[in-house]
Amino acid sequence: MRLVVNEFAKMRHLRVGALVLVLLTGVVGLTAFRGLASGMTAQLGDPAGFPWKILLAGLGFSAGLISPLVIAAIASRQVEAEHAGNGWLLSATSGVTPGRMCRSKFLALGALVTAATVLQSLILIAIGFGLGITSPLPLEHWLGYTAAVIVVNLAVLAAHLLLSSTIENQLVCMGIAVIGLFIAVFGSALPDWLAMLTPWGYYALTAPADYIGTDLVYLDIPYLRVMLLGLVGVCLFSLITARFDRREE
Amino acid sequence: MRYVNIEFIKLQRSLAWAVVILLPVIAVASGSMSSLAADSGLDDGWHTLWIRSIGFYGMALLPVGIAILASLIWRTEHRNGNWNALMSTSVPTSTTVLSKTAAVAVLSALMQIVLVLTVVGFGKILFDLPGMLPPQYLMSSVLVIIACVPVAALQSGLSTFFRSFAAPVAIALVATGISTTALLVDISAVIAVPYATATYATQLGTSLVEASNTSFDAAGISVGTAGLVAAVSSAATAVIVIVTTWILNRSDTRA
Repeated sequence: MRLVVNEFAKMRHLRVGALVLVLLTGVVGLTAFRGLASGMTAQLGDPAGFPWKILLAGLGFSAGLISPLVIAAIASRQVEAEHAGNGWLLSATSGVTPGRMCRSKFLALGALVTAATVLQSLILIAIGFGLGITSPLPLEHWLGYTAAVIVVNLAVLAAHLLLSSTIENQLVCMGIAVIGLFIAVFGSALPDWLAMLTPWGYYALTAPADYIGTDLVYLDIPYLRVMLLGLVGVCLFSLITARFDRREE
Repeated sequence: MRYVNIEFIKLQRSLAWAVVILLPVIAVASGSMSSLAADSGLDDGWHTLWIRSIGFYGMALLPVGIAILASLIWRTEHRNGNWNALMSTSVPTSTTVLSKTAAVAVLSALMQIVLVLTVVGFGKILFDLPGMLPPQYLMSSVLVIIACVPVAALQSGLSTFFRSFAAPVAIALVATGISTTALLVDISAVIAVPYATATYATQLGTSLVEASNTSFDAAGISVGTAGLVAAVSSAATAVIVIVTTWILNRSDTRA
């Protein structure tokens, strides 16, 4: 717990809070803009709930567009300070191994990323009600998507923490994030098995709503696959950080 | 010129080539992916291929790529006391700022050239398109190269003062998002912002939008639009270089 508190203390100097705010406002802003630009306000009373669908579809797109790069920047910020200040060695001499530090960073940053992801959905729902959508809120779709995207965001965060810890040159990490962004945005054109191979592909797999022909419809979220991602993510992260514990600095 | 060469020597083994080559190649590949997957042709030949390749790239990724290159150029200066060594040489600060900007701008220009070559390669080899890429897109590419200069200056300026590699990249992503949104809602004054200038230049000559409110009205290539991009880019670059030099001259040494 003390280590997690330490990570929060480091964040103040690293302006990680500002990046988390970017994650929150970027996704909400882009989703709201797409919704308004798609003529959502003209159909606020649609009994089929078109405005809620357009907001949820926009949220899926915006999360894939913004989250990969911003989460990579958040992870990179928190880790590169250790590379620059030789924090790995300093902490190791006081009994805190690199693996434990990585796990603490994940817990601290994961809490912020999760909070930002939940707030994204809550703010968009509030915007929907604020604009005057009269159809009932499809709560199960919003809850399901929010839960799924939390798992995906945390998997991407864990992957970037490991990358940034292993590779000192952050160009490689940001480059991988840009490739991840492509996979997230264009992943729907990939075969499912290929999209499933990377955490970024799950942004496309978990798309909550999309146009089929001219109809905007809710899509089934592959919960089982998302749970599998979470399980594999936990196992790999634990295994790799355990190896970090035995790494010589 | 000597100082720009020095910047390229510093970039040896830095993996800058990966950004310069991979980013545009992946952009073109992603744009063509749906057509390739469905084994369907391109409705309007070269025009469709160009619009699919440059659309997302220009609206979201080009400034991010430039930001990564700028962070890379300044990365060595933020390590091992190099900052103080750089600032204590007899080279004027303005020369340092200009040479860094020029190095990033040259790499950005190479990115655009790689994009054009990739589009031509995909068009000829994968899609077997007749003829060649319409000359209007070559002209548009020249304007993109010009419009990338102020973005290079701005990102180089940000990377001067941010030791973090990732923070200026995140700023570029957000600023690009905001400027693209402003272009979408037809706030024409935003073209004065470097990120918007670059996005505007990438969309020139495409008929991506016809007065739709989901994307901005891409202008045609004319003397007027070319002059606008050139004038705004020159003015913005001059202002950014002067401001960066002024702030840098008043910065303290670093521990």
